[in-house]
Amino acid sequence: MPIIMTVDPRSGVPIYLQLIEQIKRSIALGVMATGEQLPTVKQLALDLTINPNTVARAYRDLERDGVIETAPGRGSFVRSDGAAVESAQTAASDVARENFENAVREAKSLGLHRAAVASLFGAALDRWLPEER
Amino acid sequence: MSTISISHLTKTYGPFVAVDDLCLEIPTGSVFGLLGPNGAGKTSTFKCMLGLANATSGEIRYDNMKLAPATFERIAYVPERSVLYDHLTVAEHFEMQRRAFANFDSARAGRLVGEFGVDPRKRARALSKGMKTATMVAMAFARTPDFLILDEPTSGLDPVNQRAVLNLIINEATRGCTIVFSSHQIGQVERAAERIAILQNGKLAVEGAVDDLKADRKIVEGILPVEDFPVDGYASDKRIARIDKQGRILRLTVVADPDAIASELGGAGAQGVRIVDLNLEDIFIGAVAPAASTADLVETAK
Repeated sequence: MPIIMTVDPRSGVPIYLQLIEQIKRSIALGVMATGEQLPTVKQLALDLTINPNTVARAYRDLERDGVIETAPGRGSFVRSDGAAVESAQTAASDVARENFENAVREAKSLGLHRAAVASLFGAALDRWLPEER
Repeated sequence: MSTISISHLTKTYGPFVAVDDLCLEIPTGSVFGLLGPNGAGKTSTFKCMLGLANATSGEIRYDNMKLAPATFERIAYVPERSVLYDHLTVAEHFEMQRRAFANFDSARAGRLVGEFGVDPRKRARALSKGMKTATMVAMAFARTPDFLILDEPTSGLDPVNQRAVLNLIINEATRGCTIVFSSHQIGQVERAAERIAILQNGKLAVEGAVDDLKADRKIVEGILPVEDFPVDGYASDKRIARIDKQGRILRLTVVADPDAIASELGGAGAQGVRIVDLNLEDIFIGAVAPAASTADLVETAK
């Protein structure tokens, strides 16, 4: 099952949120295709050695968010109507936004002013996204 | 519904209160982790749950029924210390279990000890601590019980076999078995348990779903503008469970609204305000260790 799945149970981030993020990331990056079947709750719980109800909670939230659908007796699948990819891409931009927010808050708390933060941001853009300047 | 319900359990030994008015509900098919420092009351709770000790007051129900001979057939227990007979072999222990319990599956017990690398022809006295644990785990799981009570079920085992025990627990939970286990290895509880309780001095200090506790509990820390900055206002704040203050450094253990508290602290002139995630070990230490501050706080979140 080609899901990028490394969960760190010792992290302070709830395990079910880590699972949701990784499954969405797999879909956004095209590692998991639309219509593709996910592992069963039991299988994923045993593969990662984590509580099965925690996996079930992640699947429930993914279903509520329109990312996956569950057919009784058949299993869970990535939705094939495009909603899954859209939701996964929204999630990716949410993660990026949160990282920016944290970085700016951290810079502020270290005493940096707006101009200094903007210049650091520009340097990071130059390094990682030069073709889009 | 197989639910374990502990209501107002108290166990005293003379003047010593081992378990103090403990209430817990453990739903069917869930894995529940019982944590606490040594002497917090975990083993006393297990003994009362198993009828090995009489509760001073309160009661324990399985599927809404009190402990009765028929219930014992459905409960399997792995004790903290070896209860194996030194002069008997592992296979002879299995034979005793087979005669005692109608649902004991000797073949499954044999497969399980084989996976742990235990030779069933060996006498218990020749087994290492870990191999004794593995043998008791195999005997408990070979009964396909409805309720499993596991007191340190990985003690003495190497990391590979510890992981194997956790996967056995997960596998049993998926078939609907209700499991309560204790471990000093908090990382294992963090993996396998859905809900936990932390006991301290026989009392319930913290209870909740591991993921919810992690989502709600954060440290908000910052550097105060002056050393005698007033922090007493936080002592009555329901969102704050604990205040640690050393010099100008303030660390607040919050149980709700970490973002709002961080902004408030920044607004009050604190520098370097940040929100730190807590893992289960941090939550455990926060619940059982005294606060390092002038404004000591009792754990308010229940």
